[in-house]
Amino acid sequence: MMRGLYLSSTVLFWLAVAGLWHAAEAPPEPAIDPPSPAEAPASPGRYSTGDVARHGLAEDCWMIIAGEVYDVSSYIPDHPTDPEILLPWCGRDASEAYRTKGTGRSHSAYADRQLAQYRIGTLQAP
Amino acid sequence: MTGRRWLSPAICIALPVVCMAWAWPHGLPPWRSVAILSGWAGTGLLLASLILMVRTPGVTARLGGIATLYRWHHLSGSLAYLLLLIHPLALAINGLDESPLVAWQTLSPADQTWPEWLGWLALLLLMAGLAGSFGPRLAYRPWRALHWALAGGVVLGLAHLYALLGNAVPVLLVIAACTVSLGWRLLISDLGWQAAPYQVESIAHCADRSIELTLVPCARALSAKPGQFVLAAFSDGPHFHACGEFHPFTLSAIEDRGRLRIAIKALGRCTRRLQNLEAGVLVRLQGPFGEAAAPTIQPRLWIAGGIGITPFMAILRNETGGPPTSLIHLFRSPGEAPFLEELKARSGQDGFDYRPVATGDCIPDLATLLDTITDLPARAAHLCGPPALVDSAHTALLARGVPPGAIHSDRFDFR
Repeated sequence: MMRGLYLSSTVLFWLAVAGLWHAAEAPPEPAIDPPSPAEAPASPGRYSTGDVARHGLAEDCWMIIAGEVYDVSSYIPDHPTDPEILLPWCGRDASEAYRTKGTGRSHSAYADRQLAQYRIGTLQAP
Repeated sequence: MTGRRWLSPAICIALPVVCMAWAWPHGLPPWRSVAILSGWAGTGLLLASLILMVRTPGVTARLGGIATLYRWHHLSGSLAYLLLLIHPLALAINGLDESPLVAWQTLSPADQTWPEWLGWLALLLLMAGLAGSFGPRLAYRPWRALHWALAGGVVLGLAHLYALLGNAVPVLLVIAACTVSLGWRLLISDLGWQAAPYQVESIAHCADRSIELTLVPCARALSAKPGQFVLAAFSDGPHFHACGEFHPFTLSAIEDRGRLRIAIKALGRCTRRLQNLEAGVLVRLQGPFGEAAAPTIQPRLWIAGGIGITPFMAILRNETGGPPTSLIHLFRSPGEAPFLEELKARSGQDGFDYRPVATGDCIPDLATLLDTITDLPARAAHLCGPPALVDSAHTALLARGVPPGAIHSDRFDFR
């Protein structure tokens, strides 16, 4: 029984991997409604703590980390640990929490690179 | 021992459940939740599988015996593999909501960095290691090398977990428990740090390509009973070069002052080399393992194939006035039948009925042999021999009304 389970699951796994690769290789369908200029992502700007504080919800979550401003709204569901951990830091300066993870140990370099993808600007000097 | 058999399945259920409970996702997309839960359930089952491969007599007895332990070790390891295959696929499927390209980038190593590469390498090592177990039957050494690839897969999987989740307490607990289990297995079981030293006192040829050794303890003696087996690793002698690995051998006699006898048939590379063993060689023993033969007043039927006669020899040599017992001993030719003369000499004494059967190269006609046994359904049956013989004898006994609970079989294929 276990031999059959191993063989069938391994074959199905590679078929699924091949299927996902094939789907990604297919040419994308033409966009019907191109995004309007208003919806296009804004270029990095300068924000005050007040600006950041207006984005303190799970679905609209900005954070200040080491003087940079990040919009992590789309990342929250993908955070490896419970996303609830992040929510109290929405709209606030989360530098210390990011640096220590609450346990005195910092995030990995990989996490730093991931975070950079969500940067929207820098913090304005008070 | 029977009362503890629930412990192994309990570990296999409890660990993935605890892991999933800790990581239980709230408000996440369904496929992302599947990915998290499959990853953690797989990790919990891998940990269970590692705990169940710790092979020391005390742990083995507490977890229901070595056969139970290995059955659940294999089952939990296989299910862990299945769940860990689902983990990356579910993450990729989660990306399909955005686009097929995002789904592929979630999976593709070319679009990832080293934490994901660790996960991929772990999965590939698990795949290769299990191919050694479930693919064509390999010789012991290549099989063992592939099985160590599984341990490599576990280590890389833990590194993947740590790289992504950091030092959360459950992550550290899982890493610590896996490290202890792997270390214990390596040091205590594979390197034999707690093995008892014995010395080969004498060697007797008991059949073609078979020897029987008498081992005398150099320090503490193992407390063994008939029906049990030990793991033995021999040292080199003046003219003998040992394999250095632990192999299982059933006890053929338990004598006074801790002396043990084991029978060895040349079946593989290592046991062939052992036929040239010399008296005085040191041997390290682990054990005893396996269920001891339970005392009974019920008439017995024993079926032995080839060297599978060994546990019955230990029982016969160590009991006086046992219940009526019929022993069907199947072997290829009389020259290859261990202990043939001794068993013939015992036949007819104290209700012992010995039935030697030379099968040549033919498959034994078990149906005819069993039909000559009186009161078959009332007998306690004990089977020992090649797996094919044990399986067919088991089926034939059930078909003749022997209750399943009255059939005991020994399997020494602990891969």
